[in-house]
Amino acid sequence: MAQWIKKILDCCLEGLVMVVVGVLVIDVLWQVFTRYVLKNPSKWTEELAIFLVVWVALLGAAVATGRGAHLGIDYFVQKLPRRERIAAEIFAFLCIVLFAIFVMIAGGAELVRMTLHLQQKSPALGVAMGYVYLAVPISGFFMLLYGAIGLYERIRAFLSQSEAAEGPLDSAGRPEGLPGREDL
Amino acid sequence: MNFPVQVLVVSFVLLLVFNVPVAFSMGIASVLAMLAMGDLPALVAVAHKMITGIDEFSLLAIPFFILSGLFMGHGGIARRLIDFANVLVGRFRGGLALVNILTCMLFGAISGSATAAVSSVGGFMIPLMNKRGYDREFNASVTITAATTGLLIPPSNVMIVYSLAAGGAVSIAAIFMAGVIPGILVGLALMVASTLISWRRNYGKGETVRLSETWKRFFKAIPALLLIVIVMGGILGGVFTATEASAVAVLYSFLLAVVFYKEVKWREIPGILLQGGVMTSVVFLLIAASMAMSWVLAAERIPQDISAALLGLTHNKILVLLIINLILLAVGTFMDMTPAVLIFTPIFLPVVDTFGIHPLHFGIIMIMNLCIGLCTPPVGTCLFLGCGIAETTVTKVMRQILPFYAAMIIVLFICSYMPVLSMWLPEQLGLLK
Repeated sequence: MAQWIKKILDCCLEGLVMVVVGVLVIDVLWQVFTRYVLKNPSKWTEELAIFLVVWVALLGAAVATGRGAHLGIDYFVQKLPRRERIAAEIFAFLCIVLFAIFVMIAGGAELVRMTLHLQQKSPALGVAMGYVYLAVPISGFFMLLYGAIGLYERIRAFLSQSEAAEGPLDSAGRPEGLPGREDL
Repeated sequence: MNFPVQVLVVSFVLLLVFNVPVAFSMGIASVLAMLAMGDLPALVAVAHKMITGIDEFSLLAIPFFILSGLFMGHGGIARRLIDFANVLVGRFRGGLALVNILTCMLFGAISGSATAAVSSVGGFMIPLMNKRGYDREFNASVTITAATTGLLIPPSNVMIVYSLAAGGAVSIAAIFMAGVIPGILVGLALMVASTLISWRRNYGKGETVRLSETWKRFFKAIPALLLIVIVMGGILGGVFTATEASAVAVLYSFLLAVVFYKEVKWREIPGILLQGGVMTSVVFLLIAASMAMSWVLAAERIPQDISAALLGLTHNKILVLLIINLILLAVGTFMDMTPAVLIFTPIFLPVVDTFGIHPLHFGIIMIMNLCIGLCTPPVGTCLFLGCGIAETTVTKVMRQILPFYAAMIIVLFICSYMPVLSMWLPEQLGLLK
């Protein structure tokens, strides 16, 4: 069930991230084109690019949460025996879930409400900034889902002591000792 | 240390030790510290700092350089550069090691990702060097350390992050240029180290390439090398902003990899876009959360406290630089580059400022330190990747990589105490504010 939800989530969000990244590249290339070839720089491309990158970054951050791609220091946790390591992972996922609920969703929603109330609009496109900031609670919602799935899986692994042969379960879901991260 | 600072430091360190991702650790520690500061709407404030930290046009250069790096890495560009480097340095003793180092530097000048250099240059060079009788561990050491020169030689995402974390004290173009000479120096120092070892172990000489062949290889590498001219020339000539140059770099590397060299298939493109998007998100969430944390740091006047403490110890600029270098080296062994830059720039920059150290110079020192950290255990992205490609273990590599660490550290100290090496080029180009 959890895996099933995760697959659907991945499918939708990953597709969205791909498309938006593509649009982002085209948008800024269009800006370069209008400035140097048409000599009539487009006013809205820069603003659109910022809005797109904010959305892609926050939605992608949720995808990255699901993949365990966020950078952390796994040095100490890896030294623990398997059961204790899973306990540490449960703690880490709990932190992610709490952060998503309180800061991203609650704090973000309040931020959106305040910004909409102030009727702050972007200069070129005239978009209410509140809608741009909406990316925070929405990303928080998906982060919460991914975090909850991760939490559920770890708790199950923690409770079923017999599954010793299952292999290491680090937060990145990659085989132990193999690097899966980029130099960020 | 007052109460909110204690809350910040203790909670942050604890969260990191339990492998809570750095971005979340920064966010949670900031919320807790703000709550400890009293009457602050902590949740909204952190959300607000986070979103305003990333709605910045100059940051768009990061996803674009990531994307062009991915196209470059998959696009067979490394092989053309290797052929070209072979013409230049292949004929000397230990030639393949020199080719490896030079290619990493050239690759760095067009992509700026150290892991991409390890996998695409090392992926080709290490097996070749193994076959020609070079020690496996030596080959891994050369590749791992040489790959980090790409982070000093522009374009480099970590420099964009530094420019942002420095709060506009340095422009992206200036920090890019500041890295050129130190980056080349690190490359040269690694070449000296590898040549000395090659002489002692009597490694073979490479081929001497005939003139007609030389030209052929040069022409094949030109399209890849041209990217350096477009990006850096564009930024320096005032044609493009860094962001626009990065977008052009995506287009160019896409054309090169997909249309010209035909090494990336059309159906691989969505995957590359997704990978670029996710890597971008990881960096952006870190930037966002670090903005909340650096607000707390500034509000509690932490940098000033550290400056005062350091001034209490010594007024000697050289000693201060030494202390900061040692701290950063230690940090670099545990922490990845981007989080380290985002956490320690707001803390150390005001400190070095009181000692009269220029932000550009400091940025280079910081990045050089963290580059060494990429090659050292326990957390060293390049080290693990390089060991994986060379099919050897970290423990075995440790003995052979020491001379290369030494070379990097020597250049780090030279650059620390000779600011002119970082400052001269930006100064000549009129990039200093």
